[in-house]
Amino acid sequence: MRDHGLFGYNLRLALRNIRRNPVLSLLMVAAIGIGIGASMSMVTVNYRFQMNPIPQRSDVLHYVRLDNGDPTVVPEAPPNQLTYIDATALLRADRAFRQAAMSRARMALIPPDREQRPFFADARATTAEFFALFDAPFEFGNGWTAEIDDAAEQVVVLSAATNDRIFGGENSVGRTLTLDSADYRVIGVLDEWELSQRFWDADSGGGAGSSLEDLFIPWSLIVANELQRQGNTQCWKPVDGDGLAAFLNSECIWVQFWAELRSPAEHAEFVGYLDDYVSEQKELGRFQRPLDNRATPLMPWLEEVSDTPEEALVLLGLSVLFLAVCLLNTLGLLLAKFLGKSGEIGIRRAVGASRRTLMQQYLVEAGIIGGVGGVLGIVLTWAGLRGIDAQFNEDLSALLSIDWTMALAAVALAIVATLITSIYPTWRACTVQPTVYLKAN
Amino acid sequence: MLSMREVTKTYRAELVETHALKGFSLEVEEGDFVAVTGPSGSGKTTFLNIAGLLESFDSGVYSLDGKNVTGLGDRELSKLRNEKIGFIFQSFNLIPDLNVFDNVDVPLRYRGFGAAERRKRIEEALEMVGLAGRPKHLPSQLSGGQQQRVGIARALAGSPRFLLADEPTGNLDSQMAEGVLELLQGINKAGTTIIMVTHDPELAARAKREVHLKDGQQQA
Amino acid sequence: MEFGPIWRASLRNKTGALLVVLQVAFTLALIVNAVAIAGRQAQQMSQPIGVDEPNSFVLRSAAIVTEFNGRATSEEDLRQLRGLPGVVAAVQMNSIPGSGGGMGMGLKTTPEEGVEEVGTSVYMVDEFGLEALGVELIAGENFAPADVSLREGNDARWPNRTILSKTLAEALFPGDASLGLGKTVYIEGTQAMTVIGIVERLQAPWAFWQFAGHSILVPWRQAVDETSYFVRTEPGRRDALMPEAEALLAGREPDRIIQNMATMEQVRENATDGNRALVNILAFTVIVLVAITTLGVAGLTSFNVTRRYKQIGTRRALGASKGAILRYFLAENLLFTLIGVVLGALFAVAVNFLLVVAFAVPRFSWVWMPVSMAVLVAISLLAVLFPAIRAGQVPPAVATRTV
Repeated sequence: MRDHGLFGYNLRLALRNIRRNPVLSLLMVAAIGIGIGASMSMVTVNYRFQMNPIPQRSDVLHYVRLDNGDPTVVPEAPPNQLTYIDATALLRADRAFRQAAMSRARMALIPPDREQRPFFADARATTAEFFALFDAPFEFGNGWTAEIDDAAEQVVVLSAATNDRIFGGENSVGRTLTLDSADYRVIGVLDEWELSQRFWDADSGGGAGSSLEDLFIPWSLIVANELQRQGNTQCWKPVDGDGLAAFLNSECIWVQFWAELRSPAEHAEFVGYLDDYVSEQKELGRFQRPLDNRATPLMPWLEEVSDTPEEALVLLGLSVLFLAVCLLNTLGLLLAKFLGKSGEIGIRRAVGASRRTLMQQYLVEAGIIGGVGGVLGIVLTWAGLRGIDAQFNEDLSALLSIDWTMALAAVALAIVATLITSIYPTWRACTVQPTVYLKAN
Repeated sequence: MLSMREVTKTYRAELVETHALKGFSLEVEEGDFVAVTGPSGSGKTTFLNIAGLLESFDSGVYSLDGKNVTGLGDRELSKLRNEKIGFIFQSFNLIPDLNVFDNVDVPLRYRGFGAAERRKRIEEALEMVGLAGRPKHLPSQLSGGQQQRVGIARALAGSPRFLLADEPTGNLDSQMAEGVLELLQGINKAGTTIIMVTHDPELAARAKREVHLKDGQQQA
Repeated sequence: MEFGPIWRASLRNKTGALLVVLQVAFTLALIVNAVAIAGRQAQQMSQPIGVDEPNSFVLRSAAIVTEFNGRATSEEDLRQLRGLPGVVAAVQMNSIPGSGGGMGMGLKTTPEEGVEEVGTSVYMVDEFGLEALGVELIAGENFAPADVSLREGNDARWPNRTILSKTLAEALFPGDASLGLGKTVYIEGTQAMTVIGIVERLQAPWAFWQFAGHSILVPWRQAVDETSYFVRTEPGRRDALMPEAEALLAGREPDRIIQNMATMEQVRENATDGNRALVNILAFTVIVLVAITTLGVAGLTSFNVTRRYKQIGTRRALGASKGAILRYFLAENLLFTLIGVVLGALFAVAVNFLLVVAFAVPRFSWVWMPVSMAVLVAISLLAVLFPAIRAGQVPPAVATRTV
């Protein structure tokens, strides 16, 4: 009870001290705020590159790789994509709870409203379970079924942005639009889907970007309609013959494959199946490298392929140095402030305040300054991210946003950093013998 | 040597005017030892500040060593203080971060002496106050009496025309005070003029003559 | 100046001095590296491309059907663009200088194997290329109409005549006063091309490439479904002509899309978006940091003035003029700042070393070091100026006050 009352008293004293030295207090708050703002902006940028894009599903989503690489090269890891033959075999075997094969394509979209200019749409050709696999939110309609896919029906799911652009955001299910000179029926429209990155396409290369595709179409169409594929295609062995059929039968890898595996048992069973499949293929003369088939969970997979831009890391390093300067600054100002109070400290000590009580008073004061600095830091982080966003033509606002975790982290970091910073000044101010100050002045 | 005629100083606060000095006159000859006494608020400190060129005055004439100080700028006043006056303060006013040697050195630096000249003068001054063996000590390592001796050494080192002492023993116990007083008397005997401001009649009695102030005027 | 006593006094009061020293040192380490990275990128980014930037624009035609006559379309497109009043010249190109996307090849001066190739970018143009780009031919001659052939497929044989950028010519033929004019260069190992001309300057599509100044022009028309046009207009007429050109092409042929129309300034801006952002962020960081350090040093000095109020008064009483007090604080700060920048120089080298090792950031140029040091010292002195002037205002009568 006594301690509680003393804390209240110390809090009042701390607030009074802060008010009494407004310029010094303001300088400290500004230094902490700016330091936190700068470093948190950079941490956010880096964190976004490494964050979990789909926390509710990240444990069950697995990226599938088979090692069909060049046998003359010593493998580090299986190649990052599958051949069409293998993807087709995996789809047919259907051994995972859910699974999807996919690839990227570019399609010329001619809007039904002839006043609108045609444009190239960024499309994803994928199998029916894609939407369930990644928890895609639908505003209107829904995805296609496996039957529609098998029948190579010309249907399309639009992103919210594409639907806004072509149909003014109306429910366009049932309407038709022209893609690469063929007519497609809209069967679904996605809701707003803020993605920090197009994580299912982590290895497509060539500027996969951070935003959602413009539209989605059934997987079978990529062959049936001979779509213009985009994204990485790698062939370690020349294609045997000409034309699409030869390409599909080749060892070229270009298909991405995801599987939903809900438990270690399912994972083990699935990888067991992959090994069996590859062993069979080995008999046919394919897969000449040692057996190495993987179903990697989402986060480790992203870690493996993601490359946080070097600039972001350099900036993060520099911003840490920046925070250090700001804290040094605060340390100096706190020291100045607390030592300036030594007369008062002497008197308080003389009238019986314990060293602990005084330390508490000064730490409370530092904590308040740190907290206010942290709040300023959030504001400046937000401003910093807007500033960074403004530097790019591309819209990165989804990538560069601040969430509660970051905001709390900012304030916590500010308070902790300020408290650590204030230990020395507090100690210096409070360990002086009371008599020293009473005598001289 | 020091001549004040009809010097008047008034402090104006918002509502009240305080006449700190009213037509005060004083002549001090070479080799004199004058004690300026008076109760609190009598104008002693104002006299001290004006005599020491630390403050300006409103009217009257003050000439120091034959030089009229009225209208002099900061640089000339600083130069006069530095060359003509040796200050001795009640609370010593030593610079805590500087050792004894560097403290005595302070006015000599402003004088612009060369390093060898300064060293010679510092050593002589410390010798005179009996602290020759302690140039490296910090003020906090010295007793009050020793600190005041450093203060006196600092005042003497620049060979001023006169010493201006402000309650030089005010912060000392009687034994240390006696030592400091004897030191001052010795310095006076050796030819240095001393003006000492004090409220202590006993102390004043040790001077050659006493000037008593009351309400900013000299009492007969 | 009394550096001796200042130094000895600072040893008594190490923390205050150390704080200034460390703050200055960290700040220097940061700004030297930030300025080095930003300065290098800014310099590479702002290199002139060599084309007539203010009067040029580009646009791209891309087929949306599979059966598309790319050759006929581009011939008609060029005929129409060249016929537009106000257009000086137009040319079909495989890639746009400074755009960030293009073709890179290796060149040799002998067909032998095992000789190291010099990297260069490749621009395919016809006889109007030089005029359209607005590059200056400093030696030799332009392509004749007869030189221009049609490129079909990716394995076409290279034309036997080429024009080099001066920088590339100097790299291929070091010390040759004629810059290799009339000599033969070999592409794809053994295919010979005669150098018929040298242009003063034509940059590669990639501003940050190690061979950013290397380019060749080859006389090739392309029969492709997707192609770029580079158009140069009479001065001042570009902005009005752009929509006209776009409408002209888009209206004629419905089986393709006209897209990515941009002025050369926009092309350059889009290609260096991320780098420009980095430069701006770094520049901003440096400014804010310097401001923080300035405020910090000013704050500490200000506190010191307050703490030494009586001491300053005493110094004044002992004969220090206002100027002497001002100089004292400046000298004190100068001492700490100098130690700080020397220590900071060491930090800067260490930080740079880490950046070089971890991120292959280029080692900074030493020019930035003395400049940054000088700037920091100057700013630090400026920061103490106001507190120091305040110190000079301390009245000497403070010395006789007993409270």
